[in-house]
Formats: sequence, C-alpha cells, structure tokens
Amino acid sequence: MRITAKAKTETRQRILDAATGLFKTEGWHNATTRGIAVSAGIAVGTLFNYFPTKESIAVALISESVEGASDEFPTSHSQENSLEADLFTLIWSGLAKLREYRSFLAPAAETIFSPLARASEARAGDAIRVGHLEIMEKIVTAHGFPGPRSAVAVQLYWTLYLGVFAFWAADESPGQEDTLALLDQSLKLFVSTLGIDQGRGTNGRQ
Amino acid sequence: MDVNKLLAALPENDFSPTENSDWAQERLREIFADLAPRAVPVGSLHRMWTLSELSAQIALAYLSLWVRQRFSGEEAAQRQAVETNLRVALKLLHRLAYLRGAMTKLGQAACHVPGLLPKQVAETLDHLHFDAPPMHYPLIREVVRNEFGKSAEEMFLGFEKEAFAAASLGQVHRARLKSGEPVAVKIQYPGIARTIDADFRNISALLFPMKLGKDWEFTNAQFKEIRRMLNQEVDYVQEAESTRLARDLFKPEDGIVVPRVYPEYSGKKVMTTEYIQGLHLRDYLATNPTQESRNAFGTKIYVAWQRMYYAFMPYVDPHPGNYLFLSDGRLGLLDFGCVSHYGPDEREIMKLAEKMAFEDPSLTPEVIRRVCAVSEGDPAYPDYLQMMNESRDWTMEPTSKPGPFDFGDQAHFQRGVDWFARTVSKKTTRANPMYVYWNRSTFGIKALLFRLGAKVDVHEVIRQERNRNRTN
Ligand SMILES: Nc1ncnc2c1ncn2[C@@H]1O[C@H](COP(=O)(O)OP(=O)(O)OP(=O)(O)O)[C@@H](O)[C@H]1O
Repeated sequence: MRITAKAKTETRQRILDAATGLFKTEGWHNATTRGIAVSAGIAVGTLFNYFPTKESIAVALISESVEGASDEFPTSHSQENSLEADLFTLIWSGLAKLREYRSFLAPAAETIFSPLARASEARAGDAIRVGHLEIMEKIVTAHGFPGPRSAVAVQLYWTLYLGVFAFWAADESPGQEDTLALLDQSLKLFVSTLGIDQGRGTNGRQ
Repeated sequence: MDVNKLLAALPENDFSPTENSDWAQERLREIFADLAPRAVPVGSLHRMWTLSELSAQIALAYLSLWVRQRFSGEEAAQRQAVETNLRVALKLLHRLAYLRGAMTKLGQAACHVPGLLPKQVAETLDHLHFDAPPMHYPLIREVVRNEFGKSAEEMFLGFEKEAFAAASLGQVHRARLKSGEPVAVKIQYPGIARTIDADFRNISALLFPMKLGKDWEFTNAQFKEIRRMLNQEVDYVQEAESTRLARDLFKPEDGIVVPRVYPEYSGKKVMTTEYIQGLHLRDYLATNPTQESRNAFGTKIYVAWQRMYYAFMPYVDPHPGNYLFLSDGRLGLLDFGCVSHYGPDEREIMKLAEKMAFEDPSLTPEVIRRVCAVSEGDPAYPDYLQMMNESRDWTMEPTSKPGPFDFGDQAHFQRGVDWFARTVSKKTTRANPMYVYWNRSTFGIKALLFRLGAKVDVHEVIRQERNRNRTN
C-alpha cells in the first residue's frame, strides 16, 4: 500500500498535535515517545519514521512556528531602527510565535540547545540555531558591522539568546515585562561588544 | 564642602548625555581597575539581581573577562570589603542598564539622608541622576500594549517614536490625542516598579551593618520613609492623583500651570498629560532674562512651593527639571511623583514647628522633643538645640525683613550648606522621617532660586499663603 504525501503530512501533524498536548499536560520530562504515539493513534515504530527523538519533535514545533522570520527581515534595513531595535524585534516576535508552547519549551530548550547535548539531540537543534544566527548576522551586517563575527561574539549572542529564552519560558511577570527588560539589557550588552569585537572600542586604551 | 560641589550634585534635567557617559565610563574604568585582580563579588550581586541568575552570570563572566583584558595593571585602591561590593554591584547594574532607573531614584533619595551613607557611596549615587535606560520603539510598543492592550498608534495621533525628554524611570514622548490636544506620554521602563522594593531591601541589607549605631531606629524609620516614597514614585496612578490634587490648588490668575492628566490614557506605567511648551531653567537662563523676569518666575516658584506646603502636600523634589518657563511668563510645574502627603501626626508637627518659627521661640525644646526625640536632660541636647536654632535662623532669614529677599546671595546659601555639613559632622541627624524629604525640599528650593538669581518678597508670599490657608 502506498502512503500518499497527503497522508504523510496528516500523520506528521497528528504526531505534532499529540506531542503538544502531552508536553503541556505531562511536562517535557514525563512525556515519552511511546505516550505520544499512543495518543496519536499510531505504532511507536511509525512515529520513529517521522521523528527519531522527542527532541526532534520539539525542534519541528519550534521551526514551524518561527519559520518565515527571515522573510520578515529583509536585508535592506531602513536605518530608521537601531541595531538593538531590530534584534529586539527579531527575538521578541519569535518568542511571541512560540507562546503556545511556552510551558514545555524551557526544559526542551535545555537539551536541544545545550552545548553539552548529545550529538543526536544537538543536531536536531542545529538547524534552528544556524537559521537564527544567519538572520542575526544579516541584521548586524546591515547596521554597519561587517562580518565575520568572532566566535566569542557569536557565542555570546547565542548564550544571551538562550538565557532570554529560558527566562521567558518561566516568566510569570505581568505582560512578561521582566523578559522585556532582560532582552533589552542583553542586547545592549551584545551590541556594546560589537565595536570591541571589531577592534574599535571607544572606551578603553588600545 | 563648597557651594559648587553641592550645586553640581543637584539633579539637572538638561544634562548632556555625553558628559554623563564620560563620567560613568571614567568611574567604570576605576572600578574595573579595582576589580581586575579580584574575584567578582557574585554573592552580593546574586542577591541583588532580580532577573535570571543565568543572565547575571553570563553578563558578569563576560564583563570580568573584558575587564581583565582591558584594564589590568592599573593601580587598585584599597577599600573596605562591603563598600567595594556595593560599589561594584551598583556600577555593574548601572553599566548593564537594567534597573538604572531604580538606582537613580534610590540615589536621589539616599543622598538626602545625612550621615547615613559612606561618603564615597553617596558620591557615586549622586551622579546617577537621570539615567533611565533609553527605550527604542519596539520596546515602547510592548510596554504600551501591556498597559492598554492597544498600540500607541491606535491610541494616539502622531505618536513620536523618539523621546523628547528623559524621565528618571523612563522617558517622555510627544503625541496628540485623537481630539487633537498635544500631550506628553511618560513611559516607564519595564519591570522597575515591581522590583524596586526588593532591590531596596537588598541594598538596605548591604548598608545597614555599616551604620549600626545608637540612632539605628531613626535611620531605619528614615529608610522606610524613602522606600515608601519610592514605591509611590514608581506608581503613575498615584502620581496622576497627586497631579490632579495639585492642579486644583492653582487659579488662572496665579500664572502657575499644572498639566491636566488624561486618565483614559494613563495607567501604572504610562502617564499622559497635557503638553506644556516651555524652557527648562538652563535654556531660560541662556536667554539672558531681565532681573524682573527672574524675580517674577522666582516668586511663582516660591508661591507654588508654599501653596503645596500649606495644602499639606509639600513638593519635596523641587529640582530644575520639574519647572518650565513659559514665554508668556507663566510657570509650568511638572512631576508630582515625589509629593509628601501629611497625615494628622505630620500636620501637628508642622504646625508646632511653624508656631516656633513665626511666633514663639520658647517652643524650641518641645519641637526638639517631638522631632528628634531628644529631651532637655539628654547629653546630646545642647548640640540639637544649636542645630535647631541655626536651622530656624537660616530658614527664616528670608522673612526677617520686609521687602524682597535676594536668593542669589551666595552667603545665604553658603550658610545653609555649612549648617548641613555641621549637622552631619556632629551627627545631630535624628529626626522624624518626614524631615528626610522636608530637608531635601528646603534645600532644593533655595538652590533653585539661587541659580535663578531671583529676588522674592518672601515675607509677603508667606503672609498671603498663610492667610489663604486660614480662610480656606
Ligand atoms: N506635560 C509635559 N509637558 C512638557 N514636558 C513634559 C511634560 N511632562 C514631562 N515633560 C518633560 O519630561 C521631563 C521628565 O518628566 P518628569 O519630571 O515628569 O519625569 P520623572 O520620571 O518624574 O523624572 P524626574 O524624577 O527626573 O523628574 C520633564 O523635565 C519635561 O522636560
């Protein structure tokens, strides 16, 4: 029996929906691939054809939500916005799209994005990281900081981003205003290092 | 202590950001120099840091790395451990922008508690005025949306994305209401209001061991008062209410304008008021105004100050940024976040002190007892008596003769500065908490009038305002 592309897409979506439900009700750590398969009404073996790990499901959820972020940031930047403002918009609009998954994203992110993640888990998140960093790179370049960025600068950005992400996932302040402040503060820090990164620090002795 | 230093320490609204950031960078360099060979005091910072530990650690680690690379090898001054921790903590917070506004407010308040803070800390705090982190428009948009569930564009016509003025906890944007009125929209940096109390607790915890003396109770009460006022100041709903009350105190013939508040466009973190077109003190002085014009404005400033005092809501933050000089000669009065609201106890003390000052000097011992909790048998009494007499003389000097008093008189202002310095050095600083802000208020108003170089018929103004109060 041939499985049509349409049926495939449907199964995939069923898995994602079931996973979202389970992650929310049972939490990231308690949800199992077996449980997800049962809830989606498919065999565990079938699930593995679509997603090799729990992490890869979360990655798919995140990727699909933030997909298109790149299109919203054409490289031709109106110089109307500051670099900080553009990076802020990039990150905050991305988080807004993930709001639905907030409750389980923090623990998921720890495994997916951690530098200590096992190869298979980390690879799943690689695409998202690379994608995000590419947009960041474009924005930063458009604001007059030509690349390539030093490894330290990129690592700093990503670490700050993950810090904001993890904080946001657990932030219960009204309107998540603490995340707003943290994001603002983190970006100020990052942007202030860009000049130094390029050896044109203005506030130190060279 | 000289006049120039004191004046320099007073908040300036129209400061130049570059000037200030140079200063900050210079201090930062010193601190980093200090810090380089040491471990970063993560412990105390952690306690102060209300955001995620993760981000604090990342930021600190990165900063100290950067510091080591850039500033190692500089002379490191030896400091007490507590002071170093505090200074580093304050400075890093300052550098990292978050909560700078809260620090600013704390700094403004704490500097007015004589003898409470180590000099060094007080100086550091002094320079933190007007330093709320600037917000770009995408952030503003989120703050406004959090407050009203709508964007600024939906609420206003022509909301200007660039702020036209800095506020200590945020910034102010020009816009128009849909009905056309020009307005000033003051927007608070996110998160400050909720964390200010926690930060205050943490800072007090760091400070208190330094000053565990016999006046502890008073110190503590004064700190509580500052904390209360800070919480009031961060709440724009309360500020809107004080503004409304103040607006009711003035009639058109006074020539004193308090902006109308638009409550439908105001909340806890956003406050919208009628836009008032006018010059700040510095710009006004730059126009070389005539002596008559200075006197007229000085008189209005003094009237406004007295009017609010007799309405039991003294304006305790009379710094230059809160006054606008209008081209038609009217005075604009802004910022009612820092207004005391006297209850029955304070009113009673106020009336007693008034009676002592204007009518009956023999009440002095009673005032000292009520205000400073020092009775005649106390060994400290003679010092307190002298302090009180000098204070009264200085306060009353402008009223001693009929006719205009010249606030531009350097000698008069200097006497006040000397009195203040003596009070601190003799440690006669015990006082009812209401005096934390009252002292700040009297110094502030005289400093302002000194800068303005105004002659004011204080005698006459006080007579009118007291009478007005009696007849009302
Ligand atoms: N209604 C208004 N019309 C014109 N300008 C205004 C108005 N409200 C505020 N401003 C401008 O914004 C500045 C800061 O406003 P305001 O004093 O209310 O802020 P704040 O946060 O209370 O700050 P601070 O404690 O530093 O005074 C003022 O000095 C003034 O330049």
